Amino acid sequence: MIALNKEDIVKLLKVWSCSFEVYAPARLQDEVMLMPFDEKSFTMDYLNTAMPVKEYLLEQKESLYNWKKNDNDIQITEFDASKLKSRIMFGVRACDAYGIAYLDRFYTEEFRDHNYALRREKTYIVAVNCTEPGSNCNCLSAGVGPFAQAGYDLQLTPIGDEYLAEVGSEKGKELIDLAADFMKDIGEEARELKAVLQSAIEDKFVSRVNLENIAQVLDETYNNEIWKEISKLCIGCTGCTSVCPTCTCFNIVEEEGCSGEKCRVRYWDSCQSDSFTRNAGGHNPRNEVSRVRYRIYDKLKYIEERFGFKGCTGCGRCINVCPAFINIIEVAAKLKQEYKQDIETMNRDNAAAAKFEIHTHDSEHSCESVYKPQIAVIKDIIQETRDIKRFIIQYEDKTLHENYRFTGQFFEITIFGVGEIAISIPFGPSQKDYFDFCVKKAGRVTSAMHELKIGDKVGLRGPFGKGFPYEELKGRDILIVGSGVGLAPVRTMIIRIVENKKDFGKLVVIASATAYEGLVYKEDLKKWNEIDGVKVLYALSKPTDKVEAYTGYINDLLPDLGLNWEKTTSIICASPKRIKAVAKDLIKLGMKGTDILTSLETHMRCGIGKCGHCKVGNKYMCIDGPVFNYEEMLSLPPEF
Amino acid sequence: MASLAAAFGSGAMTNSIEELSKADVIFVIGSNTTEQHPLIGMRIREAVLKNDAKLIIADPRRIPLTEHAAAYAPLKPGTNLAFINGILNVIVSEGLTNEDFINSRTEGFEEFKESITKYTPEAVSLITGVDADTVREFARLFAEARNASIVYAMGITQHVTGSANVAALANLALITGQIGKEASGVNPLRGQNNVQGACDMGALPDVFPGYQSVTNENIREKFRAAWGKDTACDIGLTVSQMMEDAGCGKIKALFIMGENPMLSDPDINHVEDALKNVEFLVVQDIFLTETAKHAHVILPGTSFMEKDGTFTNTERRVQRVRKAIEPVGNSLPDWKILCALFKAFDCPADYKEPGDIMEEIRSLTPSYGGISYNRIEKAGLQWPCPNLEHPGTKFLHKDKFSRGLGKFTVNEYRDPGELADDEYPLVMTTGRIQHHYHTGTMTRRSWALDREYPHGFIEMNPVDAEKLGISNNNKVRVSSRRGEIETTVIITEKITPGVVFMPFHFGEAPVNKLTSRNMDPVSQIPEFKVCAVRIEVAK
Repeated sequence: MIALNKEDIVKLLKVWSCSFEVYAPARLQDEVMLMPFDEKSFTMDYLNTAMPVKEYLLEQKESLYNWKKNDNDIQITEFDASKLKSRIMFGVRACDAYGIAYLDRFYTEEFRDHNYALRREKTYIVAVNCTEPGSNCNCLSAGVGPFAQAGYDLQLTPIGDEYLAEVGSEKGKELIDLAADFMKDIGEEARELKAVLQSAIEDKFVSRVNLENIAQVLDETYNNEIWKEISKLCIGCTGCTSVCPTCTCFNIVEEEGCSGEKCRVRYWDSCQSDSFTRNAGGHNPRNEVSRVRYRIYDKLKYIEERFGFKGCTGCGRCINVCPAFINIIEVAAKLKQEYKQDIETMNRDNAAAAKFEIHTHDSEHSCESVYKPQIAVIKDIIQETRDIKRFIIQYEDKTLHENYRFTGQFFEITIFGVGEIAISIPFGPSQKDYFDFCVKKAGRVTSAMHELKIGDKVGLRGPFGKGFPYEELKGRDILIVGSGVGLAPVRTMIIRIVENKKDFGKLVVIASATAYEGLVYKEDLKKWNEIDGVKVLYALSKPTDKVEAYTGYINDLLPDLGLNWEKTTSIICASPKRIKAVAKDLIKLGMKGTDILTSLETHMRCGIGKCGHCKVGNKYMCIDGPVFNYEEMLSLPPEF
Repeated sequence: MASLAAAFGSGAMTNSIEELSKADVIFVIGSNTTEQHPLIGMRIREAVLKNDAKLIIADPRRIPLTEHAAAYAPLKPGTNLAFINGILNVIVSEGLTNEDFINSRTEGFEEFKESITKYTPEAVSLITGVDADTVREFARLFAEARNASIVYAMGITQHVTGSANVAALANLALITGQIGKEASGVNPLRGQNNVQGACDMGALPDVFPGYQSVTNENIREKFRAAWGKDTACDIGLTVSQMMEDAGCGKIKALFIMGENPMLSDPDINHVEDALKNVEFLVVQDIFLTETAKHAHVILPGTSFMEKDGTFTNTERRVQRVRKAIEPVGNSLPDWKILCALFKAFDCPADYKEPGDIMEEIRSLTPSYGGISYNRIEKAGLQWPCPNLEHPGTKFLHKDKFSRGLGKFTVNEYRDPGELADDEYPLVMTTGRIQHHYHTGTMTRRSWALDREYPHGFIEMNPVDAEKLGISNNNKVRVSSRRGEIETTVIITEKITPGVVFMPFHFGEAPVNKLTSRNMDPVSQIPEFKVCAVRIEVAK
């Protein structure tokens, strides 16, 4: 084992500074922060830094790309990692190092977030273990401290006049090699000294809560009164999420710099702001109660269920900053107390949600730039209804169409300078050299898109999401229900079935809207109805003389469809309330919940499971869905 | 503030913020504390949740703090004075007065006592809509507390009886002896980071810095000696008077710094006429505000991040603000703009840095006499702090009021300047919401804050909504005797029937197009909290 003298620490940092940018704890006013190393303000006397080291890897605000428009030509410049210097983050505590381990898992796997990954590659984490816990320190309860377990390249433990140095990675070895002059070999008994020190420190913890089984306890306490109580206290300041080492959510914003440069940037965002999940139409699936509950569930349950990492590292910052005295550990302790007796008997399989396989990124686009859109040109615009337009769009680079593999459920469409929206795929694989999208004017971005003209350029990212399981449905009768613009996401299936009708049984399409004028794809609907074995029905609130239509609810039509319910699959796209109403009746008719499919396209933003806006329970609508079967849908917390 | 100065001799929070958590009873009136002063709200919550304090709240809206309230009085807008006088009546009639305190530290009690006999709980109940027993409960809880604090904000000052409301609260503190000790006093919460500092520095028409009267000959001499023989020594105009005078042509030029009267002043149509009427309008601000759009000259100021200086917060604490980034573009810190102006007028202004100005403040302002940049390098100091050895003052009026004896005043209730009638049947009160600041000059430019509330709204009780056939989120037209605007309805039980509430942050639905120019006769603060309106569904 190796160690260095405590008095050599400044010399060590100076040596490292020759080859790295070194960030070390600095005392500024009353706060200790991780700042560029400066001997004058440098301190080793600190409980923890005010902010977790996360802020250097996922910056509070960072550019995703810059773009320029010359005439009608749009050029995109991405984040350039070559300018980054290698950095050492010195003095990171066990809780925050663990946070980094989780962030690595979160940002660099499945869809690789290149901004994070590139910064991370150039970052070396030197953990310095704590010897004194603070009053709100809970790393012991969380099971990630007090000594660093993960996320570090090198860890130092203060023992007597020395720091015991332990390498955690190749990068750590590199650091030791640079500092060879200060390092000395000490015996293996140091390991024992470290263990003794650890248990002495553990004895000093004021706050101890056994968090084992907490995820199961939370399964049972979703409707506990405590959430209402907390919701009355929370003022939505978002302090808790800003200081959390495992909070990963961001919001994407279009900005213009001082000298007119245009960029798409991301900022830290917070699930604790009311508008985090509010959609363009004003609907918000979370209220003040589900909002405060969600944060605590995410930290103590969802993150661990999904990623196998503790969501709370016990750093205590959210407790320290809360102006309303909300204490996540106290909440956990209270709930555990209430459910103490039941814990043993609790059903381990009673997880709130079924386990789904994560759909990996299989778009043809480069994984190096998951946030960079491809430029596409609007070739035609069809006014479908008063507020719905259909855009025929083609990639500027036509080889992208040649290489396009049909998959997914939606695209992210960028209106440059305004924003980006998820729009479902309404076409089938037979449509080779163009896309078409159906866009309802609802919010800022869709309104801006409605202003575009033929020849204007947009950006496309995708395809993303888990689509309908086309192959699995072969041989079955199919019922497809689309309400309003909800016909767009199911049109892809109608097209594919109609084009391969021989592979399927009967197909019934029910198009629903308030009035006939509000329906999209009116001509398609008429055409499909003429195909053998395909029946198109209309369920409208207002009568019409344009087609033969039923005036009333979709549900009234179901019993007389003449479908063999056991061998039928239904696809429903409507509001969650409507989906439930229709699905309930279908089940009464003899359908299984797993044969009822739906697309829950709820406030998806980044499309790749990173920004956190569409997370419902431990699922991301954008990568685990948006297509779910009805049973899966019911297993989700009712927050979509 | 004027009323507190009249009663106690000093117009500021008597106590410090942290003391609130130690109070046994906290009386909150006209302050939505958790939303508008979240950190002070936190102290109040701490008092209730951790120290078992009793919280009593009077407000036309069921504000979030009412969750913690021992008693709540949903009073009609504009009836605060009747309510407070009712409490005073109960304290006298039930013998809950603090005789020792009244005898040793106050004057004017007898005349005052006479004046409140008619404000029986029953009489007050008819005016305020609060039942008589609640009035009694407030009186008992407050008077019998070991340490009781009063917390108020614009909810009681923006009325035609604003000054009287504050004076009545001062009476309440005096009659119960709830002042001059820790966690016990009268605490006006200032709405901006440095509005206390602006007042302290004499940005009022009748005082020099430190509330030194411009009519006092000795003080005039002091400032003439320091600033030159032409120093203005007459009582000036209030903002409200300036707009009136600009409107009728008496004022030819206006220099507006960091204010946006085109949203924040009452009766905006009149403000617009007034601003158009002046021959020369200069606006200094950090963004192009609704007001700056009318200016002949715009001076780009700097934000808090781009300048050095001090802010004085609501608890009289003078604190440093430090430059984090260089001024953006061609903007300049306010003091540099002012120095340049002084020079242009041939006045000496050779300050090298804000610290030089602080030294001048120290030399001319007794209450700031001991506040130097050196001393506030790490933590701020609370005035009064008369000399460099003085530790600052945590709470005021300990053994003696600033004016000597505390003075009881007579404050007769009068109806608001505008009452609901058949044509305008609802009473609108205006205010703020948590995520926006004042006229939104800054907060509406932040996506995270603007996303929370991207547009204005009007809150309405379900009873009224049903009567008018209005559903949640309906677009409505709100009209008053002065104008009309369109906004969206939020139906909520949290507001008293007959009352509606609108925030004033939103330029798209400028609520001050509706408000009146009725004002408090003493302070000339407009009656923002009461305005009769009519509401119809907009097409």
